[in-house]
Amino acid sequence: MAVPAVRVDRVTKRFAGHTAVRNLSFEVPAGGIFGLLGPNGAGKSTTIRMMMDIIEPDEGKIALLGSASSSRDLSGRVGYLPEERGLYKEMRVLEHLAFLAEVKGVRRSEAIKSARNWLQRLGLADWELKKVEDLSKGMQQKVQFAGTLIHNPELVILDEPFSGLDPVNLQVMKDIVVEFARGGRTVIFSTHIMEQAERMCERIVIIARGEKVVDGSVSEVKASYGMRNVALRYSADAAKAASILADRRLVARADEYGATAEIEMAPDADPQQLLEALVRGGVGLGRFEVVEPSLQAIFIAKVGEAAVVPAKAEAA
Amino acid sequence: MNKLLAVIRREFIARVRTKAFIISTLILPIFIVVVSVVPAMMMRGSTRTMHIAIADGTTDSIGTMVAAELSAARTSTQADAIPGYAVQLFHGEGHLDALRDSLVSRTALDRTRDPETFDGVLVLTDQTLATGKAEYLGENTSSIEAMGQLEATLTHVLMTRRLERSGVDPRLVAGSMVRADLATTKVSDGKATGQSGEESFAVAYFMGFILYFGVLLYGQQTLTSVIEEKTSRIMEVLASSLRPFQMLLGKVLGVGAVGLFQMAIWGGTVFVISNQRERIAALFHVSAAAMQQLPIPTMSVGLLAVFLVYFVLGFLLYGALYAAIGSMCNNVKDAQQYLMLVSMVLIFGFFGVFALMRDPTGSLGVTLSIVPFVSQFAMPVRWSLAAVPSIQLVSSLALSVGALLAVTWLAGRIYRTGILMYGKKPTIVEVLRWIRSK
Repeated sequence: MAVPAVRVDRVTKRFAGHTAVRNLSFEVPAGGIFGLLGPNGAGKSTTIRMMMDIIEPDEGKIALLGSASSSRDLSGRVGYLPEERGLYKEMRVLEHLAFLAEVKGVRRSEAIKSARNWLQRLGLADWELKKVEDLSKGMQQKVQFAGTLIHNPELVILDEPFSGLDPVNLQVMKDIVVEFARGGRTVIFSTHIMEQAERMCERIVIIARGEKVVDGSVSEVKASYGMRNVALRYSADAAKAASILADRRLVARADEYGATAEIEMAPDADPQQLLEALVRGGVGLGRFEVVEPSLQAIFIAKVGEAAVVPAKAEAA
Repeated sequence: MNKLLAVIRREFIARVRTKAFIISTLILPIFIVVVSVVPAMMMRGSTRTMHIAIADGTTDSIGTMVAAELSAARTSTQADAIPGYAVQLFHGEGHLDALRDSLVSRTALDRTRDPETFDGVLVLTDQTLATGKAEYLGENTSSIEAMGQLEATLTHVLMTRRLERSGVDPRLVAGSMVRADLATTKVSDGKATGQSGEESFAVAYFMGFILYFGVLLYGQQTLTSVIEEKTSRIMEVLASSLRPFQMLLGKVLGVGAVGLFQMAIWGGTVFVISNQRERIAALFHVSAAAMQQLPIPTMSVGLLAVFLVYFVLGFLLYGALYAAIGSMCNNVKDAQQYLMLVSMVLIFGFFGVFALMRDPTGSLGVTLSIVPFVSQFAMPVRWSLAAVPSIQLVSSLALSVGALLAVTWLAGRIYRTGILMYGKKPTIVEVLRWIRSK
């Protein structure tokens, strides 16, 4: 098996007064896009900062790219976009981008060359001699994004990369990330927007209150969560469905929207039974589809649980 | 190394490009030109020939001697200087009062209409030789300089005349009045160095002064730069790529280079202005001699080298100290109390020079010139005053470089822990713990 891009091994980090990350272990396989999910304050940024060796774990170990060295020694192979964005405002755009490459160990001449390429690609070529502060916020974010990838790292760690982006820039960044990961490189990003993660990630870890609650590939997670939903659209005789949907042996919950309905199946009930019942009852169906639970639904169910149940270790 | 260079370059360019830097760099040279040219321009009016009428009421023609002496005077020591006085002599034996009144009536008129007018009338009587009393009536009686010159000339003539009368050759007196003039030359390693001890001390002292102010001026910049970076959001990206030591050393060297660059420009300007006095004077239509003379110290290559090395080291060393303080504070206000400590070290170093002056080769002098933070001031002065064994010079330099790296390293330790501790000001105990933490 290939060396994992990141190995987090029983890591705990305490800050004055509370435990930000508790006995957290997971592996990020090399290649592809990995999502680190969790609500605000779950410990995502703390975990990422520990990966980047900006803060040190109190317990446990983190290895990047199978190496025991600090991320600083590997910084030429790792790209990092912190949650708190910021650039030197008074610097010129091209110089700034080149500087970000240089501190990763790229030679100056090369750094300037690839900075030019990136500005070209992001449509900012005309701005290279402007000061950073003259750029719009969206442009600055693009520059910072480019600064994360400019030295062509094997592993990219992005902390909330898509927050605060307008739809156009979101699309641009998303395309860049996807293309980047396609080249066999690893992208880890944290987010609390499940829709984004669901569409982009192959594997995810969900953490809440500093602890891991879900770990696996997106399809595995969905399958194992076992929640099956059915989406309906009526074509005729919708009223006849009412008694069938009220059957609690078959249907746990029904969201009626008039022309459509979203059904959550009762435990042990088979969507096939529901379909038969509806057909027998003479309900005209425009759509009957068994749909996967969304990551959003899983997230809310899981994180809601974790939020309600007090963490066991706290008592210990 | 590559990364460190990138940080230094960024720091340097970012600072040199600011308006503040450009303006402050230009202001000093302009100030120097103004200071040296303006007084000369203002004095231009007074360096004209004074028209004086002498009403000579003496019987033994003292007036002739005074007239000759005044006519020989020049407005300055330069070869092309204009005569100081245009003298007209009038003999008034017997009718002195009438002569005086008629001369006064021709004095202080508008020269454009009446070019023959006098600036003043000097009245000499027989009493003058005995008592030294003479009368001057003129428009410039309140000019201390003009009156002083006139008085001095008169005194000289009277003295010569009196001595002559007593049968003494005035040249004999002039010869015997020459003052003692002690020429001092520093001896190093049994060889005369050819530089005057007094001058090289003045230079070293002056340099200490510049270092003192340079550190105060730019040290603060290193401090604010570190604090700004800590609170700026770029810090996290840098912290993931660079060691705190690299970040801080880059800052100390970068900001230091800006300061040294600016001072080099200033120093260069002073040098050029002094060398090009004639041209600058011509530009402003003033006489070069009247321009304020800037003290351009002459020093031996050795002293210059020692001074420059210690200056640069001192500059960076104190910069590192400021960086260390910046790394434990979240804003400049918090830093104030620690700044006082640096100022105390700085002042101690500066005043240590005075202790050293009394006995440069004594144990106190040797200690002061070796201990870092103090040696930056003491060594150049000591070097200028006495011969320094090379072992002491080398160990002093080594200690300074060591201290620079050690302070920066310490600052890095503090910084590393301090960056993510926003909010409260750390106590000394906490800072010590940060340094010790692995």
